[in-house]
Amino acid sequence: MTPDHPFHADPHDASVDDPALVARVQASYAALPAPDAAQVARCTTAVLAAAMHAPSRRTGGTVRPQWWWGAAAAAVLVITVSAGVVRRSGIAGRVRGDLGTSAATAPGATAPGATAPVGTTTERGDGVRFDLTLPRSARAVALVGDFNGWDANATPMVRRPTDGAWSAQVPLSPGRHVYAFVIDGTRWLVDPLAPQVPDEGYGPANAVVVDLPR
Amino acid sequence: MTDAELVVRTRSGDPDAFGTLVSRYYHACWRFAYHMLGERADAEDVVQDAFLRAYLAIGRYDERDQFRGWLFRILTNQCHNTLTARSRRSRRFVQDESALESAPAPSSGFASGVDDAALVRALGQLDPLQREAILLKYAEGLEYGEMSAMTGAGESALKMRVKRGSERLRVLLGRSIDA
Repeated sequence: MTPDHPFHADPHDASVDDPALVARVQASYAALPAPDAAQVARCTTAVLAAAMHAPSRRTGGTVRPQWWWGAAAAAVLVITVSAGVVRRSGIAGRVRGDLGTSAATAPGATAPGATAPVGTTTERGDGVRFDLTLPRSARAVALVGDFNGWDANATPMVRRPTDGAWSAQVPLSPGRHVYAFVIDGTRWLVDPLAPQVPDEGYGPANAVVVDLPR
Repeated sequence: MTDAELVVRTRSGDPDAFGTLVSRYYHACWRFAYHMLGERADAEDVVQDAFLRAYLAIGRYDERDQFRGWLFRILTNQCHNTLTARSRRSRRFVQDESALESAPAPSSGFASGVDDAALVRALGQLDPLQREAILLKYAEGLEYGEMSAMTGAGESALKMRVKRGSERLRVLLGRSIDA
């Protein structure tokens, strides 16, 4: 490189830009194909879903997503059970609550050692096991959903003596199922970080999808 | 609909408005992130995270700023965070000199859909701040004042990064530039 090369001109002069290099960088940019609509949609859906579960303080108090926006996110944030393998996408699956929905912060839903309930869904044979850890004691917990007619008496959860988690296993046919928990017969609870669906008349609820057998 | 109108709608709780913003800027963000990080998967993650952070912070967005510039400010920060995390994991970017040298240098023009792998690899060997400055200047076409507002660095520093980064890039790319 010679002293009179453009790169040895005044470094504060915009003329130091190397046309060949500029062209090559721009060509590399131009060569990248535009993402397809599905990729953009996945990004949007994932963002809205993640924002829905973000602590409210991060929203600046201006645009906290509503729980029902989960409908848009449900397509990618469902828990799927397929061919004997639990498949989870996005942030769904083992859900850890670190924020408060109104249900999650209801009395009896929060407790020492944790700020919110922790729920999990696990495929077990031909059914799905629902586990829910409530940091504060509850007298009774029930699993309700479209699979039991939203009957708070139909599927009581059993408290495991080993870890204190509430557990219930239900056989689920392939398809999408909507569920929630009922604490002490009165308070409905949804997993703060699990996929959520629009209110179908029973209040906020989570969703689990059982895939068709392969 | 303008970006400002979409931001207003997003603030009022219209997820479709935000989706339109994502559609409008996803490609630009993705191209920048890919050239910053050199890996498609990382780029996709960073872009998504940048949009998430933008969404969460949109209440603090100042309408006097260009939305694109504001978004890119978030994106550049996310790229730096990813690079920092990558270095913590001792994950090495492509630094195989022989592979770089043996990579075919595009002679003129590039086929659609085929990125300039040699360039991306060479960019990966630059100091991240130099790489960022070169991309913002050469690819995004920003003025140094805009770059300064976006990165927080002074214009003189940015010019020096472009200069030194370009020199290094020319060395790394060898004759492919001079040809």
